[in-house]
Amino acid sequence: MTTYILRRVLLMIPTLLGITIVVFAISRIAPGDPVSFSMGTSGQMDAQQAGGIRAARMKLYGLDKPVCVQYASWLGHVVRLDFGDSIKHRRKVSELIKERLPVTLTLNLIALVIVYAISLPVGILAAVKHGRFFDRASSVILLMLWSLPVMWVGQMLIGYFTGPFSPATFGQGLPPAQVRGLTWFPPAGLSSNYAEQLPFLPWLADRLWHLVLPVLCLTYTGFAYLAKQVRAAMLDNLGMDYVRTARAKGLSEPTVILRHAFRNSIIPLITIMATLLPAMFAGSVIVEKIFSIPGMGLLAFEAVTNRDYNVVMAVATIAGVLNLIGLLLGDIAYAIADPRISFDRAV
Amino acid sequence: MSKQSQKRPNWGLSHGELVWRQFTKSWLNVACLIFVAFLLLLAVFAPFLASDRPFIIFTRHSPAGIMAGKSGGQVDGRWHFPLLENLQPTDYCIFLAAFVGFLWLFAGYRRQNTEFRILSPVCCLLYIGLGSVLILATSGRHKLDATDYKALVASGKAANAIFPPVPYGYDRTDLKLCRQPPSRRHWLGTDDVGADVLCRLIHGSRISLSVGFVAVGISTVIGIIVGAILGYFGGKVDFIGMRIVEAIMAIPVFFLIITIVAFFPRSIFNTMIIIGITSWTGSARFIRAEFLKLRQQDFVQAAISLVLPLRSILFRHMLPNAIAPVLVNATFGISSAIFTEAALSFLGFGVAPPTPSWGQMLSLGVSPSGRFVWWLALFPGLAIFLTVMAYNLAGEGLRDAVDPRRMQKSNIKYQNLS
Repeated sequence: MTTYILRRVLLMIPTLLGITIVVFAISRIAPGDPVSFSMGTSGQMDAQQAGGIRAARMKLYGLDKPVCVQYASWLGHVVRLDFGDSIKHRRKVSELIKERLPVTLTLNLIALVIVYAISLPVGILAAVKHGRFFDRASSVILLMLWSLPVMWVGQMLIGYFTGPFSPATFGQGLPPAQVRGLTWFPPAGLSSNYAEQLPFLPWLADRLWHLVLPVLCLTYTGFAYLAKQVRAAMLDNLGMDYVRTARAKGLSEPTVILRHAFRNSIIPLITIMATLLPAMFAGSVIVEKIFSIPGMGLLAFEAVTNRDYNVVMAVATIAGVLNLIGLLLGDIAYAIADPRISFDRAV
Repeated sequence: MSKQSQKRPNWGLSHGELVWRQFTKSWLNVACLIFVAFLLLLAVFAPFLASDRPFIIFTRHSPAGIMAGKSGGQVDGRWHFPLLENLQPTDYCIFLAAFVGFLWLFAGYRRQNTEFRILSPVCCLLYIGLGSVLILATSGRHKLDATDYKALVASGKAANAIFPPVPYGYDRTDLKLCRQPPSRRHWLGTDDVGADVLCRLIHGSRISLSVGFVAVGISTVIGIIVGAILGYFGGKVDFIGMRIVEAIMAIPVFFLIITIVAFFPRSIFNTMIIIGITSWTGSARFIRAEFLKLRQQDFVQAAISLVLPLRSILFRHMLPNAIAPVLVNATFGISSAIFTEAALSFLGFGVAPPTPSWGQMLSLGVSPSGRFVWWLALFPGLAIFLTVMAYNLAGEGLRDAVDPRRMQKSNIKYQNLS
């Protein structure tokens, strides 16, 4: 097992290098550069002066050197966990990440827990009631949820559930500035103004209140997807001989389903977690943009639109690392859950 | 599927026909097919359904030069056909491709005839051409004829004009009419620059469907080639290849896509290619798994012992037997590509503004000041939802039809943007 993990971790290095080289190459080949983007807002000046400032800034950010040299120096810094400075925010990228990463992780972990909490019972029940009304209805509803575009759901939630808390004005779509008093849910952000001055419990309540709509957006697709997988895995196992044996022994139905069939259905569900996490990270770009949540997704979006090279590279690296860790954890959990699988012999 | 049907024995039904029968047993599947066909028709005939130029107009005689349009704009007491005169090369290509596609479906239904064999490569070429021309036209489309025909009719300078059912141009802006709720004049309301939402929805279907088909075409072709090579050779090639495929699967795809789309000039071409070349791993893995199984079968061994060229073994003998999971995967891939394109347009990385796309229209649903405009959020979102759902349902139906044991294995990839 240890050698397997070691080998996997070693294999991660070329993958990461590949990801960063691709993103680095794209950002340098593409027309436009962050200096001209940031100078677009600096008012009028004569051409010579502007050229001088431009050259000085290019030199400051090291953009005047050949691309290979730039990549090598970037890599040299990253090995020492130094992602450089953000050109837009004028701060260290590592500080930005330290601020933004927990937000996205919290959001996604809460969503993941809810996804599993809902989809396991629904999937099991659908498999048990195979072909009956619950099964058919749930599969149609799940497919509908699965096809719902996140951005549409987000827009509609903002439209209908951020207005004043009264049925009379429901769905009128007032701009937030015009809304007075209590609202259903806040349309944007992670906490109310001055929330940091609140004691812990009200602060937590405020934070959760802000998280309801974004988490809802992140949850429903994964839930629909996972429930279908649970149902499929359970159906496979319920048709097996050992389930018939368990029933013939006279075990109670809950025991047969939960202790015998379900335990064997867990295995495919573990690998799905590895695919769910990166997909949720991608989904959080959209959700964070819609709800203006200052997380990694919004950071990535802003970095990409502003050509903030260092931030783009940092986000690519971190997203890649998270993906790889997710896949690795999935595989390890797979080996733990199923003793028949041994990675040391195979491969 | 066509290759398979060509080699059909004279007795019984081919695998393709069996799948088709099983597929059409469910009314839901048939409804999905009809919906997709409806969307295709909408996309093909968009200029005839929604345009601010009339099919036919009779202009009364009046001093020349008042309405100085480039063509059809003169007020000279003659009949004019502004809509037909202003069709773009794109439109002609789409009509031609649709016509050939129609022939392919119906004339080539009895797959034995030779015409079909000649037609099908031509058809493929035409579809490739269609994609590329569509890109050219949507990237730099400019209006040739700026005549306001409705004003002509209203001012009495013209009579007997026949307009399309939705008589608005998708790029005709009128700030006086911005954000009008649905009414009898504008069935689905107007957007923030006063363009008709229904008209833009109809034209937007072209973008969505073309991205779906072209991106999935690219990814399926790459997936088939890579998967076939890995599965056929096996051993070391397979081991190294699969490690590379796994490495590619670890790439944060959505972030890569938004990076590329944001860094390069906006064009639908970029979007299609990028979605295509980042999503082939799924079909490559299915094809590989099928080929690993097929490799041991007698007919493949026979083909190898006849020293047939590799191309022939892989693509004529093995591929037709492994195409089913790829087709299922491609159906889900189309819905996923449409979804990704909508998400990109929503974030502002889609096609350049005057060209309508559903995602971009949806992003107008909440105005910059925070006002919620329900008809701008509801209708484009509904269009995306119904299209994606139709493809997903069709994919599920196809999967069940391909595998009659209804083994609901997880041979679908996680749809949303992964």
